[in-house]
Amino acid sequence: MSCGLTQAIEQLASSSQTSDYGKTGIHHQHVATLETVLQVAAAFLDGGYILEMLTCQDRREKDERMRLCYTFNSLESVDRHLVHVDLAGGLETEEFAAPTMSALAGGANWQEREVFDMYGVTFTGHPELERLLLPEDSDFFPLRKDFGRIEDAENEENEDADE
Amino acid sequence: MSSEADAEDGEVYSLNMGPQHPSMHGVLRLVLDLRGEEVIRAKPVIGYSHRAHEKMAENRNTLQFLPNTSRIDYLSGMIYNLGYCQAIEKLLDIDVPERAIYIRVIANELNRIASHLLWFGTFLLDLGGITPFLYSFDDREEILDILDQVTGSRLTYCYGRFGGVTWDVDATFLARTTAFLARIRERLHMYKQLVTDNIILRERCIGVGVISTELAKSYGVTGPSLRASGIAYDVRVAEPYGGYDRFDFEVPVLHEGDTMARFHIRIREIEESCKIIEQAIEAIPEGDILPKKMPKRFKLPEGESYFAVESARGHFGMYIVGDGSDIPVKLKLRTPSFSNLSAMPETLAGTMLADTIAIVGSIDVVMPEIDR
Repeated sequence: MSCGLTQAIEQLASSSQTSDYGKTGIHHQHVATLETVLQVAAAFLDGGYILEMLTCQDRREKDERMRLCYTFNSLESVDRHLVHVDLAGGLETEEFAAPTMSALAGGANWQEREVFDMYGVTFTGHPELERLLLPEDSDFFPLRKDFGRIEDAENEENEDADE
Repeated sequence: MSSEADAEDGEVYSLNMGPQHPSMHGVLRLVLDLRGEEVIRAKPVIGYSHRAHEKMAENRNTLQFLPNTSRIDYLSGMIYNLGYCQAIEKLLDIDVPERAIYIRVIANELNRIASHLLWFGTFLLDLGGITPFLYSFDDREEILDILDQVTGSRLTYCYGRFGGVTWDVDATFLARTTAFLARIRERLHMYKQLVTDNIILRERCIGVGVISTELAKSYGVTGPSLRASGIAYDVRVAEPYGGYDRFDFEVPVLHEGDTMARFHIRIREIEESCKIIEQAIEAIPEGDILPKKMPKRFKLPEGESYFAVESARGHFGMYIVGDGSDIPVKLKLRTPSFSNLSAMPETLAGTMLADTIAIVGSIDVVMPEIDR
């Protein structure tokens, strides 16, 4: 990784730290905000990195956050950066929004749709924010922690059937 | 709106290809907007085989999730199964015995060849050639028999265990594998003469469905499709795992980015896999296949980690978040075909309808792996 890019990312990010690659497979971790995330992404993509993965973590029960997780990686020499963007909101909060990255990286289009599908995070400015994997008329977000466990739902059904 | 635009709109019509179309691999639906035979817009509709693997991962402990892994992609299930084992081993600092490392490499590469052979057969079937399909499935069946003998399953292997493999391989397995290598090399020679050099195939593939390097990077395309677009990125070399750094093999790269390049790359990868298996069979030591001491519960350390392996279709990544218990807080499966297919709308726009079959076939999508 070039020094210029490291500096640019560290300046943009709210905090940066090095991670133990041997143990975690991640070289660097950064925290960005809703305002800086697109600039961080642009810096990576301009530097020849790719958006490797985008996903979300429901931490509302733990510390009242919905956390977006992006990883950027270089295809020339492995250098994986994990970027967190926290969206504040407790268990009552239903609406979460973040800016879309789809204009910067084509791959973000579907990955953001999947996060919307599973976690209900809206990406503002996204060209076609529709359900991706679930039926288009679904009204739930299954990977949210308050959705419950699959086993629970199955057991309830079985109990109903037994009765 | 001008009348001219109206007239133009009138000529555009939508065609639903799939989810039951015979040349769609699995349940992929493509909504194509056509003007005559030209594709104006292509919209893949996915999710028909969504089984909520990521949700299931949050509901069971790390060991219970193991059988799920080979169901993500049933055509190269071994690679996903062993890849997941390797991720957990790295997190928990479990050392894999030497013999198990070699067995894993052989099993992985056999599975990669089987997957590429299936692609070879079905791709040519899509293009109208029925005969190669019968030959390649004959070859693939031999691999399935070899793996069946040691794992007990044909497709959805659960051969890996944290720390090693379930059963040891015997001399018959190694002898059959060696015999298979000789057989497939002979066949590859025949395939080259009959298929690769065939003018009809070449006319349908050369210059068709070009994925430029920039497009591939923008969409995170990986695997043979990326290597056909000029980037030598292979996880086995970039982030060596499971002992791959001990073997001498090449990562084939082509720069055309078209359907023919993707075809060549996969054929050459079969040859490279043969080379790896050959070296592994020569060097495989005697010994244990599982560590002597193992933890009872596989508790994930607190924190986040990301591990990747090279599946037959590209970069398969696992993003694991643990909290000290043996149930992951989050397990994201970053599957290669998902990203590869997401580049299709841009690749297909402006091509001819008949080429759509060749292009979608050439990126080798497996729908259950995309839908998870």
